[in-house]
Amino acid sequence: MPYSYAELEEFYESLVNRARARGIPCAITSGMACVAFGVAGTTKDCDLLCAPDSAGELLALLGETTLGGRLPGYRGNLSAPLDVRWFRGGWTSHFVWAPAESGAYLDVFGVAPRGSSPWEPQIQGFYAGPHTVAEMKRTNRDKDWPFVTALGARMIESGDERGWLHIFDENLLQAFGDATRRAADLCRRRPVLELAGRQDPRLRPALRAEIEYWHELDRVRLGIYERAVRPYRLAVQKARLRPDAGLSDQHDLRVRCAERHLPLNPVRDFGVNRMISEARAALAQTIQPAAMTWLPDVREHFTLLAE
Amino acid sequence: MKKPANQLPAAVRRKLRRAIYDFHVRAFGEEMARVNHLPLAARRRYIGEMVDHATKMGVKSDKPALGVTP
Repeated sequence: MPYSYAELEEFYESLVNRARARGIPCAITSGMACVAFGVAGTTKDCDLLCAPDSAGELLALLGETTLGGRLPGYRGNLSAPLDVRWFRGGWTSHFVWAPAESGAYLDVFGVAPRGSSPWEPQIQGFYAGPHTVAEMKRTNRDKDWPFVTALGARMIESGDERGWLHIFDENLLQAFGDATRRAADLCRRRPVLELAGRQDPRLRPALRAEIEYWHELDRVRLGIYERAVRPYRLAVQKARLRPDAGLSDQHDLRVRCAERHLPLNPVRDFGVNRMISEARAALAQTIQPAAMTWLPDVREHFTLLAE
Repeated sequence: MKKPANQLPAAVRRKLRRAIYDFHVRAFGEEMARVNHLPLAARRRYIGEMVDHATKMGVKSDKPALGVTP
């Protein structure tokens, strides 16, 4: 019998409570956080941000956390070891509590993709703050973008002006632009905001270009990780563990494979500026040159990763 | 001089709330727009029922384990 949504939610929240009781900074993000912030998604999986330095402590906690009497295991051959070295470089560790078809899925990462500021001070209850969640939702998947705008609108409504950075709907941007203030600093970070509330015909193509730009950035970023992970995946595949191996044995094997085959920080190795240039070059193939002039400087979204 | 949204007169705030609701309808459909504006406990209950029903019908919601988060 699969676990119900409510049971899984309770399980993940209790995991966060226990982690924090041990001094492990962590927060639920993505779909489950969106539900809490007023945008209903339908995922049962849990994405968890954990401070990279606490990776070892979280692994120890997972190793003793049962669900229905079962302990978790790593999921898939691509999952990086939950270890501070790879955690800092943007890798994700995937876990599952069996049975696979009806158990619990947990993805853990230390650096919020595209996060422009540390997520730890922005935690709200069990969840990463809406600003962090909205930045994380700027993916190459079209379905994520309405979530970004909805989170931004909620932030503006509650007086957090950073919400302006997340509105990608033309009508809503015009409505907010007509009525409310936005700080000059935000217009510097996101030039397209200059066009909001002026019924400017350049707004729509500029917004389209901005979304496509984030798509391209994600495409290039994921490509970097995909290329970097191949030798590691083969090594994990080859090193067959006995089926009843526990999390600790699985982890030791992954660390051994990673030490030989998994680069610590492929984006830093590739170069953030190069990644951005490739995304812009790809975008220039499909977007009007005039719309390119309104693109934001995205480097701040990758500085935490490049450190 | 324009003010932050949480300091606006009630009439303007109502207008903005309407614009936000209209966005939710455009982006997520009427039913989910309504759900998104429910109190948190009711929203979670609704989503829980929806997800549990989908699971019972054999819908898979797990994402591939890629080693990196999109």
